[in-house]
Amino acid sequence: MNTYLKSSFFVQLVLIFVGIPLLILALSSFPERSWLKETISLLTILAFFLVVGQFFLSRSNGSAVQEVKMSRLISLHKVIGYTAVTILLIHPFLQVFPRFFEAGVSPDEAFITIITTFTSQGVVLGIIAWFLMLTLGIMSFMRNQLPMKYTTWRLVHGILSILFVFSGAWHMIDLGRHANLAMSVFIAVLTAGGVLLQLSAYRPKTEKVGVN
Amino acid sequence: MAINQIKGCIGCGVCIKTCPTDVIRPDEKTNKAFIKYPADCQICHLCRMYCPVDAITITPDKTIPVVVSWG
Amino acid sequence: MTELKRKKEVSRRNFMAIAGSAAGLAAMASMGVFAGDPELKGNIPEIDIDIDTMTREEMETDLLVIGSGIAGLFAAVKGHDAGAKVLMVSKGRLGSSGQTPFAKGIFAYDPDKEKLSLDEFVATVSRSAMGTNNPVFTRQMAEHSLARVKDLKEWGFFDSPLYFNSFSKPLEERNIPVVERVMITHLIKENGKIAGAAGFSFDEAKVYIFKAKSVVLCSGAGGFKPNGFPICDLTHDGTVMAYSIGAKVTGKEWNDGHSGQPTNAAACYDGWHGMFDRKPGLTGVEVHHDLGVEQCYQAYMGGGPLAGGPPGQSGGKQVTGGPVRPAEFAENGRRPSPPPGGKGKEGGGPPPGGGPDSGGAPPPGMMGGSSVCGTSAGMSIHKSEGLVPINDQGASNIPGLYAAGDALGSYMAGAIYTQVGSSLAGSAVQGAIVSEAAAEYCKGMKLPTISKNKIKAIEEEILAPLKREKGYSPAWVTQTLQGIMIPNFVLYIKKESMLKAALAYIEELRDHHLPMLRAADLHELRLAHETANMIVNAEMKLKASLLRKESRCSHYRLDYPDVDSKNWNAWINIYKGNNGEMKFEKQPFSSWPS
Ligand SMILES: Cc1cc2nc3c(=O)[nH]c(=O)nc-3n(C[C@H](O)[C@H](O)[C@H](O)COP(=O)(O)OP(=O)(O)OC[C@H]3O[C@@H](n4cnc5c(N)ncnc54)[C@H](O)[C@@H]3O)c2cc1C
Ligand code: HEM
Ligand code: SF4
Ligand code: SF4
Repeated sequence: MNTYLKSSFFVQLVLIFVGIPLLILALSSFPERSWLKETISLLTILAFFLVVGQFFLSRSNGSAVQEVKMSRLISLHKVIGYTAVTILLIHPFLQVFPRFFEAGVSPDEAFITIITTFTSQGVVLGIIAWFLMLTLGIMSFMRNQLPMKYTTWRLVHGILSILFVFSGAWHMIDLGRHANLAMSVFIAVLTAGGVLLQLSAYRPKTEKVGVN
Repeated sequence: MAINQIKGCIGCGVCIKTCPTDVIRPDEKTNKAFIKYPADCQICHLCRMYCPVDAITITPDKTIPVVVSWG
Repeated sequence: MTELKRKKEVSRRNFMAIAGSAAGLAAMASMGVFAGDPELKGNIPEIDIDIDTMTREEMETDLLVIGSGIAGLFAAVKGHDAGAKVLMVSKGRLGSSGQTPFAKGIFAYDPDKEKLSLDEFVATVSRSAMGTNNPVFTRQMAEHSLARVKDLKEWGFFDSPLYFNSFSKPLEERNIPVVERVMITHLIKENGKIAGAAGFSFDEAKVYIFKAKSVVLCSGAGGFKPNGFPICDLTHDGTVMAYSIGAKVTGKEWNDGHSGQPTNAAACYDGWHGMFDRKPGLTGVEVHHDLGVEQCYQAYMGGGPLAGGPPGQSGGKQVTGGPVRPAEFAENGRRPSPPPGGKGKEGGGPPPGGGPDSGGAPPPGMMGGSSVCGTSAGMSIHKSEGLVPINDQGASNIPGLYAAGDALGSYMAGAIYTQVGSSLAGSAVQGAIVSEAAAEYCKGMKLPTISKNKIKAIEEEILAPLKREKGYSPAWVTQTLQGIMIPNFVLYIKKESMLKAALAYIEELRDHHLPMLRAADLHELRLAHETANMIVNAEMKLKASLLRKESRCSHYRLDYPDVDSKNWNAWINIYKGNNGEMKFEKQPFSSWPS
């Protein structure tokens, strides 16, 4: 852990992916809700940012991560990946969970209404993101069993990640109650940055051949 | 001011049908619910209770002073 | 390698830039730069409807049920089961419009459990109601209540605080179509019989014509869109439509005496202290003499509620006089007034019109503080106002037109609240019985025809407010009407001079404003028709109140404070005269119209 703490890179990372979202949340005014609901929202939002942060915590961000040992980086990438992804996977259910404790539509009814509202672009994007994320997760878990080369795997993982983050970000901007303009712009910028970074990781390979 | 904010709306339309006094309408552009006739809100909370994502915030006050039997 | 190096730098710079701009965004958020909320616009009466694009839809059915509260639910279900083709139409949504969504206690008379026999129960209600109830309907309600509660249980009514799902179940099972968000404005009569109804949609520029052999009005009661009672969608539309085609209506002098709260008076949900959150429950026999205008009298004589603390405790002592209460139903400590500011459960009376037997949350105004009856202005005691029934099956004097529940002036409870939870039960029971009779009426009958001219004329009337280029906004006329009708000294503590003064104002609204109501969109069109109905209701209430020169139950006249059994053991029926004037007649208690 020491290496991380010493690394200015890591401090920046935490600052950007946890600090700034929290700051935006703290400084904006949102309608008051129950403690449980706010906690769930907060967890979801942080999970989302941590997932976006994954792009910056991978080989793609080679220069920035050079101070950190690659093996540690990978393990960090994994830990964050699995926790955040778990939260996001259960997020649609968490969303209706507080309904168990209050008057109103029942959680199952609320859930069904949500996932059948296909007229909502945000919901559709969320569902797409959810399945992409599920695929990503399964692919990571079963990497060794999958009949593909590591490089292929990495490419597929990267591309799916881009699609996932893109749809997830759009989903959040479209639906999120905390996605005010400040938050939305922040998400957009981070996501775009992450995606560019990822794309750049694929591009140089061929270029490199030419240069060298 | 009565029905106050809609945040996190997925545009399912339930609140629009549910509101007895027709306060909420769909926003054609965003495909979400929007508070079109707040002056007619009777602060009954039905819309909030029926909303699958609890997107609606309602406060007990009204912006316009109301006529009551006693003051 | 150089290329690679350059790239690295870019990405690192990117990284920093993102951090920087994000911090800037956070700062902006904190300064409220993004405070603009599109939801926060006021009512927008922009003209957004093209009247020439108005379409017309015609639908046919045997039995048209107007209203989707509990009366409408049972009318649709039992009418269908009795063999009629049923169609339900409502201004709002099934189970979430009218008063039904807010009622949480339903009465069930279980002969195996109750000490009081059915006869004794009816007799007790009649004593509390001082003769104002129609014992036939009182008995009918009690007799059938358990069966209706069993139906409701089967549909899951008691499992959720929200009623849409349980109401949908039996309708879906029977494939009964429900047309929602269509306001009926006209009942159609051809050749002296009912032939259908007409109205318009809130969502699309469309006029609806329903052709029907029989119509069951389950359109509830209404009020002056009062602040603090969730009946702002109800404006006695059914009563006024029926009155317009010649039906007799009754019960306009009585008052529902629900109290409100002094702060945030309009907040219904808050005023009911969590009641709307509860699942419904059952109530058993418990006869009261409840929620009339006694509180109002105390406050009026005591110099207003704010001066004297909680009603009935002005300066610590009870003001003498006021509405007469039968001694048998004295509030002898059984349900004491709440201590000032008290919030204990004990402080709570039963919820208005009934409530769960669990004792539960106090109704609004019973929480201490300084609130007094008057929050439901424009509404009478449930079931005391509405169409005059000519028999115990809710038939009106117009063949084919029936009413049930709050839309029927059955005097089931009398002119005061007598049995907790009976309002809901009564609507359910009546809905079922009335629609079975209506289904019977439909048998062997041909679908009536409605002349083209009539349809055209009705369509004109419906759309008239949209076509006016100048006129009065319904919101303003409503507010003016509220200012005239809602103050306590008009309908709650009545006297001739004030009733006449108010009537002069209302006649002005009737003659000059009602014909000039103007609407810019379909929402305002609804408001325009509702406002017109409220004006008619106001006139009825003032004139009936002037007429009844006595005090009894929830009608109190300062100038005639006593019960007058010699002249006034009678209900007041109202009907439209040949020249369009409002006419009145007496109908002796416990009799049927001649
Ligand atoms: C806050 C509150 C608490 C109550 N608590 C209790 C209780 O605990 N126990 C109890 O027994 N009673 C209670 N009551 C009374 C009870 O709710 C009513 O007596 C009962 O629900 C009436 O049912 P209904 O079906 O006759 O009419 P409503 O439920 O009022 O239904 C009227 C229907 O008609 C429709 N409608 C009206 N006008 C038109 C039109 N022009 N065109 C088309 N449709 C129209 C409406 O949309 C609605 O669907 C309470 C009432 C309120 C307001
Ligand atoms: C089946 C799939 C999904 C459904 C039905 C769903 C549903 C929703 C809904 C209804 C909201 C808005 C409610 C509110 O803000 O209170 C929301 C917000 C959000 N969703 Fe999803 N979602 C899904 C998948 C995802 C995925 C895969 C992600 C991760 C990328 C995600 C991330 C978020 C975030 C970050 C928010 C914002 C929370 C806030 O602003 O408070 N969702 N989701
Ligand atoms: S609180 Fe009631 S009246 Fe107000 S918008 Fe919601 S449902 Fe409509
Ligand atoms: S019920 Fe909730 S989610 Fe559905 S449209 Fe209304 S505010 Fe939006």
